[in-house]
Amino acid sequence: MERRKLESAALFLSLLGVLLILPPLAVVFQLERRLFGVPFEVIYLFVCWLGLIAAAFWLGRRLPREAEAEPPAEGED
Amino acid sequence: MLTPDVVIAVAIGYVGLLFLIAYVSDRQARNDKAAFLRSPFIYTLAISVYCTSWTFYGAVGSAARNGLEYLAIYLGPTLVFIGWWFVLRRLVRISHKQRITSIADLLSARFGKSSRLAVLITVIAVIGIAPYIALQLKAVTSSLQAIAGVGEFPGRTLRGIDEVGLALAVAAGMALFTILFGTRNVDAKEQHHGVVAAIAFEAVVKLAALLAIGIFVIYAGGGLEAIFSRAEAAGIDIYSTGNFDDRWVAMNVLSAAAILCLPRQFQITVVENSNENHLRTAGWAFPAYLLLMSLFTLPIALFGLTSMPAGANPDMFVLTLPLSAGQEGLALFSFIGGFSSATSMIIVESIALSIMVSNHIVMPIMLRVTQGHGVASARGVSRLLLNSRRFSIALILLLGFLYFYLTRDSDALAPIGLISFCGVAQFLPAIIAALFWREASLKAATSAVAVGFVVWAWSSFMPSFQSSSPLVAQIMAEGPWGLAWLRPEALFGVESIDPLVNVVFWSLFLNTVTLVVVSLFTSQSVLERVQAALFADLFRRPGAGAPAVIRGSATVEDLYFVAERVLGAPRAKALFDGVAGAPPPQFIDRLERELAGSIGSASAHVMLSKVVSGDAVSLEEVFEMAGETRQVIEYSQELERTSAELRSTAQKLEEANTQLRAIDTEKDEFLSQVSHEVRTPMTSIRSFSEILLEEQRLTADERQRFVKTIHQESLRLTKLLDDILGMSALDHGEHGWDNAPIEAEHSIDRAIEVCSALARQRRMQLTVGSRAPSAVISGEPDRLCQVLINLVSNAIKYNDAVEPMVEVRSRTGRGRYLIEVADNGPGIPKAERKLIFEKFARGQSGGVTAPAGAGLGLAISRQLIERMNGKLELLPGTGPGACFRITLPLL
Repeated sequence: MERRKLESAALFLSLLGVLLILPPLAVVFQLERRLFGVPFEVIYLFVCWLGLIAAAFWLGRRLPREAEAEPPAEGED
Repeated sequence: MLTPDVVIAVAIGYVGLLFLIAYVSDRQARNDKAAFLRSPFIYTLAISVYCTSWTFYGAVGSAARNGLEYLAIYLGPTLVFIGWWFVLRRLVRISHKQRITSIADLLSARFGKSSRLAVLITVIAVIGIAPYIALQLKAVTSSLQAIAGVGEFPGRTLRGIDEVGLALAVAAGMALFTILFGTRNVDAKEQHHGVVAAIAFEAVVKLAALLAIGIFVIYAGGGLEAIFSRAEAAGIDIYSTGNFDDRWVAMNVLSAAAILCLPRQFQITVVENSNENHLRTAGWAFPAYLLLMSLFTLPIALFGLTSMPAGANPDMFVLTLPLSAGQEGLALFSFIGGFSSATSMIIVESIALSIMVSNHIVMPIMLRVTQGHGVASARGVSRLLLNSRRFSIALILLLGFLYFYLTRDSDALAPIGLISFCGVAQFLPAIIAALFWREASLKAATSAVAVGFVVWAWSSFMPSFQSSSPLVAQIMAEGPWGLAWLRPEALFGVESIDPLVNVVFWSLFLNTVTLVVVSLFTSQSVLERVQAALFADLFRRPGAGAPAVIRGSATVEDLYFVAERVLGAPRAKALFDGVAGAPPPQFIDRLERELAGSIGSASAHVMLSKVVSGDAVSLEEVFEMAGETRQVIEYSQELERTSAELRSTAQKLEEANTQLRAIDTEKDEFLSQVSHEVRTPMTSIRSFSEILLEEQRLTADERQRFVKTIHQESLRLTKLLDDILGMSALDHGEHGWDNAPIEAEHSIDRAIEVCSALARQRRMQLTVGSRAPSAVISGEPDRLCQVLINLVSNAIKYNDAVEPMVEVRSRTGRGRYLIEVADNGPGIPKAERKLIFEKFARGQSGGVTAPAGAGLGLAISRQLIERMNGKLELLPGTGPGACFRITLPLL
């Protein structure tokens, strides 16, 4: 993907993350049911969390790197 | 046997280990050996200082009381780090460029280097963090008591010491520890490699401890399924119904704000950052750390609620669960984990705050009081800085202890932390405006932060003293002076919503509105505008400014003070060697360049101009200079663009000129050709007619022949003139006909009919090859016929083969109609292939010596065919003879 698309993807990921953990999306998964013994909404939140981490990992390796100069030389005591 | 004595001894031993790590890392860093210290993972682990005792102990308590709510504290920061590209990257970049040392420094730098704003931010931060420090003290105190409480023999060490005394001792110990730890030296960049290494180590310890407890609980509780089922059977609402409400939203907002605004997070994430690209790793690794930290929180809480006696403090489950199971080793590990969380938070937070206090409050006061004397030497400055930091650390822990003392009756940890979060969140609107909004002004930022602080202090900070102050309790119940709508937890009479949501909404709402409205109605000072432009154009401008000598009167001491802060004592000393009295402008210029090497030219310029004259005039000058520079840059860019345009125009003109000259030559050649062509028949007509006029003795036969020649020549002349006229009409776009659908095969028939006579005359074969049955094209039948006659007669005329033959064939395919005229004549040499379609070109190499045409035929034919949207070309054949092809689009 080119730079602009990657940046858009990063922005989208952040906004999607916000929407996923807030009502009304979070409420959708309050099913009063359990999966592997754990309430569904807990599983939902952790899966979202994992997804966000994976996507951020993917993006972090691809977002453009500028020829960023190291911060200025070390200061002395 | 786990007694308080053992625990305290272990804690002290652990602190010693931390010292060792910090010391070794500092040495390594100084010798540039410790590359791993600058790795993105150490950076990420250090950021995990976000997880304090609140996380270690308090999250379980929070989960036991409010279910899933504890997760909001970690999801907010997760989202901020997932979106690191947009906010954190900017923060880090601008802070590196401007050498920002704290959050107060950042806001002050953006809003015109205002010292008043810096003081305000520092004061708010110190007050806002006090509850957070108190939380750590409370957690460590409670953990010590928890261990003392379950011992078979109450420890002698803690006998006779109550909670308050214990907390005071912990605070004093922590203060001493932090002073020894964080203020051993002053780094110009305010980076503490040793501290960061120790913090990263602590991050590993607390994560390992919490995971160990989690696994123990899963094991002891018989698996996740069993733990949740037992909790459900015990009447606990495991489905956390109604958890995703306005309080959930408010807590997410608060935690997202806190990860940016907490002084310690700013210190680690921004100031201690050694490479912007580390954010790439932290962007996913920090959220992953948070996930691991909160993975077992809910099972631990539920297991604690079902297995511990009623009334047990859920904040201490992490410690009391292994203790009650007799797992003393695990309990000790857990204590160390909690101790790690508390110490790392206190160390970094108080270092960050002490930098703010000493840089923005103590130093300015000292400079004012001593009039700059006593700080002229590097040692003086260093000592003053270090002492003011030590004092600040002691003050910060004292405030934390005082808060703890005054609010000691409250039991839960998490609500205390939320008070601090909400306090520092008041910086968020100003920070966002600093990064993204150029028009935000100093007055607006100052008043916005102040308004937010007042609302927070009134409705979040003050209520925590409810239990210790009757006056506060009365205000809480009835409002000040009986004004019910000002009751802290129901501001403006809104009682139906949660008090936390209440304060978060009103404080941030009024804060933001003030920021925007005041910005719209106030103007920025010159320095503010300069700084706003620097912040706003962060990624646009390469950061170069034009060198300009600052005039003014500054003492060497003033300049040295600046230089030493930026460059460090040895470099500053070398630079100032031999300079005394009023420094010459050249020296100031040189100093500026030196400073620019460290902090960027713009800030060096602004900084020096501030020091050198210290009044608004020089700032105006700076601004003007900056403006001039920009104008010059714009002007030169304009010039460059104009000259590029000129260059391309000139090139176009030259091309046009060449073309015109070529056309001119062509025209000359054309005229001479035409004259020549006209002259030949004219000469013969003239001479024959003269003979006829003058010679009377001609026989009738001869006369007849001469008249015939004259007739033929005049016919040729007419044909030539017709050709030239037709050519010129085509050249000027006068077509004289409109294309219409025609049957092209009829034109071929006609052309063959016309040419067969000529062919017979020359005794050659005109064969008709395969023909398309029918082809309807858009064109003009007579012109098409003319072109074909031209091609066929050429083929006949120039053919000198022994058995001369010409073949005409046609076919259709792929929407096109092809007519080919092929002969077995001499063909057309390669060199002439391009030329034959030019005017007056004639086959030269043919054996026929007297060409009968003017050489306009092919040129005209090609134009005619092009007019019918087709093309006439010579096929690049290899064998003997030539083959012309007409391609026309089928209708």
